[in-house]
Amino acid sequence: MSFREKSAWITLVSVLVCFGAYFVELFSGLVGDRHFGGLGSLHLLLLSVLALAGLQIALTMIAALTTPKDGRAPADEREQMIQWRSQSLGYHVLMVLAVGLFAPAFFGHRGVEMANFALLAVVIAALTVSIAQIVMFRRGA
Amino acid sequence: MSRLPIVNQIRRLRFEHGEMTQSELAGKIGMTRQTIAAIEAGKYSPSLEAAFRIAHVFGATLDEVFQWSEA
Repeated sequence: MSFREKSAWITLVSVLVCFGAYFVELFSGLVGDRHFGGLGSLHLLLLSVLALAGLQIALTMIAALTTPKDGRAPADEREQMIQWRSQSLGYHVLMVLAVGLFAPAFFGHRGVEMANFALLAVVIAALTVSIAQIVMFRRGA
Repeated sequence: MSRLPIVNQIRRLRFEHGEMTQSELAGKIGMTRQTIAAIEAGKYSPSLEAAFRIAHVFGATLDEVFQWSEA
């Protein structure tokens, strides 16, 4: 497995773990006074971002240590093509979800709540990019 | 994934050139071993420039390395 494919897996796992926990906490109302949409959710968000950064740095260091030299070479044309295609797909997913933000707005969500829906759209787009990269790396291109 | 209509002789040419490994070929043309493996398996068609680089490594012409296959 190349370093870039490992990076895609690392992004997928770390975003799923950190922001999965964030949104589960948020939507299930398990954060006490940090109810969905409250400013208290910012504290939880900060923790999630720090956990994401820490997890990604640690896993990337492990991947760099365990990946053979050719896996750490500069991205070649096939890897660049995979990056372009996956990011294009992620962009379109983000556009659809951005338009979809009218739905919660229609049901009366405002302020921090809408910011959390926008963040969810970004997270889903990022997951889409990682999954698309993994699929294309597995298929060959 | 369906196979591409381009077949290649890279595996045979590697064998005929001192059993060159995929990593060695990749290093000579600035690609990763995984990309060479994908090209060999017919899962990825290289750019024209990369195809010429591969042919140059083997001292072969482009059509000795890559062929169009309608089948």
